[in-house]
Amino acid sequence: MNIAFYLLSALAVTGALLAIRLRNLVHATLCLMFFFISLAGMYVLLMAEFIAAVQILVYVGAVGILILFAIMLTHHITGATRERISSRGWLWGLGAALAVLFTVLLPVLLLSVLPAAPATPDFSPSVRNIGLSLMDPYTITLQVMGLLLTAALIGAVAVASTSVRPQDKPRT
Amino acid sequence: MILNTLLDNPDQILVNLFHQGAALLQACPALVIALGILLSTVPLVAIFPACFAITTWLERKGLARIQNRIGPNRAGWFGLLQPMADGIKMLLKEDIVPQTSDRLAHFLAPVLLLIPAFTVLSVLPFSRNMIPAAADTGVILFFALGSISTLPVFMAGWSSHNKYSLLGGMRAIAQMVSYEIPLVLSTVTVVMLTGSLNTVKIVEFQQVTHWIEGSNPALQILGQVLKWNVFTPWGFTGFLIFFISSLAEINRCPFDLPEADSEIVAGHLTEYSGFKYALFFMGEYVSAFAISGLAVTLFLGGWSGPNIRPWWSEDPRALLIPGFVWFFLKMFALILIMIWIRGTLPRLRVDHLMAFAWKFLMPLALINIFIAGAYYYLPHWIGWPAGLIVIYACYEGLGRINRRHLGPKRIYRYA
Amino acid sequence: MLGKGIINGLTVTAWNFFGSYFSKSRLTTVQYPEGGNTVTAFSRNIPFLVFDDANAPIDSLRCVACKICEKECPPQCIYIVQDKDANGKLIKSPKIFDIDISVCMGCQICVEVCPFESIKMDSHFELAGRDRFADLLLHREQLAKSNDYYHKIHPAEAREVDDRLAAKQKKAGPA
Repeated sequence: MNIAFYLLSALAVTGALLAIRLRNLVHATLCLMFFFISLAGMYVLLMAEFIAAVQILVYVGAVGILILFAIMLTHHITGATRERISSRGWLWGLGAALAVLFTVLLPVLLLSVLPAAPATPDFSPSVRNIGLSLMDPYTITLQVMGLLLTAALIGAVAVASTSVRPQDKPRT
Repeated sequence: MILNTLLDNPDQILVNLFHQGAALLQACPALVIALGILLSTVPLVAIFPACFAITTWLERKGLARIQNRIGPNRAGWFGLLQPMADGIKMLLKEDIVPQTSDRLAHFLAPVLLLIPAFTVLSVLPFSRNMIPAAADTGVILFFALGSISTLPVFMAGWSSHNKYSLLGGMRAIAQMVSYEIPLVLSTVTVVMLTGSLNTVKIVEFQQVTHWIEGSNPALQILGQVLKWNVFTPWGFTGFLIFFISSLAEINRCPFDLPEADSEIVAGHLTEYSGFKYALFFMGEYVSAFAISGLAVTLFLGGWSGPNIRPWWSEDPRALLIPGFVWFFLKMFALILIMIWIRGTLPRLRVDHLMAFAWKFLMPLALINIFIAGAYYYLPHWIGWPAGLIVIYACYEGLGRINRRHLGPKRIYRYA
Repeated sequence: MLGKGIINGLTVTAWNFFGSYFSKSRLTTVQYPEGGNTVTAFSRNIPFLVFDDANAPIDSLRCVACKICEKECPPQCIYIVQDKDANGKLIKSPKIFDIDISVCMGCQICVEVCPFESIKMDSHFELAGRDRFADLLLHREQLAKSNDYYHKIHPAEAREVDDRLAAKQKKAGPA
């Protein structure tokens, strides 16, 4: 399965790089969606099909569309105009990236020991187990998530509804 | 000898073919995997475009007969070669791309629409042991892959650099995203009562196994049909909600505002000509097949139909008429109902469309979940009628709540 | 019941679908040209000149070249030149009677103003030709059709016209 991992990682890295480097905002968003899909593929490789499906559902199906709608409201989407923002240039960026690499990433990667065997001996990834654990140890988490989503829904309705009183609405 | 094993159980022809091939190619496991992949994907990729061609013919003839006219009848017997004529025409048309359009997105949009349309077919069980990708989370994978198809619609609308395309594309995405919620909520009931997201298990749940494996042919037939989910109150409501939402998902009448010629000049498809238009068309139809296939799997018993065991076979689960015949029959029945609805109903206006999804279908789907839960715990002789009554009351109630207050009824008189 | 209208509509279309195989009223398509065409006794397309005697079609044309139809025609698609006899005196017959049928709009005004019942409306419509101008300019010989043909395409009208002509004959006869 190494081939699949290398392929998916290559696609993911390409998608991410293009997403931050493309000047055309819509193209950049589409590359970001591509990145999300390859990430979902990697979840499938980790035998977490449910997470892969939810990743596609939430990120590509919902967040992606949201980002696209938000981009519609901005100007200069095609990136034809070139604007300069004051920044220090790419050499400083390279220096910062190398600093992070050598002080944080490399020590962590080299010094941490990944376990050879999975944490639980009886590894049975299934939606059933997710559901059961949501019900038993994580009930409060589930209720809080529900409350949060309800608040978001009500907020969306409140933001989107117009302030026209019922008797003023034209009869159609 | 090979023919014998192939015909021992006519239902399992492809499976037996695979086993024979695997036995022959035992030396090289990579070839066995390749054979498995070929045997599961090549039939799909061959059959579904053929089904698409047949459906375009069916649609044109069916709509014509509903509208008091004869459909195409010049290209071959009863116009059966009309899809071929259409295909040739589409191939030979000039491919016009607007100069100011976004070339890459304009080119990729039809291609990207076909990818989810065909990929979701892999989680549908066409017969016993005949499912291309037996994933444990089949239903959610179906919806996840199906939700990708909003992106190519947006790409098509945006890249055409055309006001109508953009508006049409935005409306199409709004419609698809809104109707995903009743669609998924109506399948929650099935998943709840089956206890699994696996499509194979869902189909098995809808069969009375000990009757099928028994020896009484009448019971064998009944056992395949009686326990379909659509014959329960929550299943019937779920099926209706699923069907209506699926019509909206694939932009089909009466929800085809985004691509209606008289409304918005084909919406997001305006700047597409020739074969790209045919690809969009094919994407829409194959999505229709896929979603009808899921409706058949979840509510109509999948590949089970009135079958008896063939008398020459020792396999207790062998079937006389193969399962995939019933699957395709039921899928085509749903497609015919879609064509029927197309010939009958006028188009919904965009605000009616959204209100229908959010104010009617979604509450009904949520109530359906409660009914399904009550049905599970109550004994059947209470659960059935109570479920029916409560669902009907909520249906009427939601209709009353949503009805706008109209003025006095207008009386028209001829001058 | 909510949704009753939809179910009613679906039954209507289903009846239409199945009925179209059995009853003619539910399948009103006429497959032209094998299944005939829909020309009725009230159809009209372009004018034609009526003659009474099949043996001498041009000589028995009812038209006297009074040029009223040429003057009254709104798009002015009629061109008439009166005939002269051997001595050069004008006679009551058209030498040239051309109608440009690409211009003619079928308004029937020429028929209404003709005092001699000589120009009537034809219902023939398969008039396509290969030359855009020459084939669509019909001359006297192409426009002349017999009274029997008139009876065939517009029987009631032809009978009325014949009665009127006979009455005129009777009035002119004894007087």
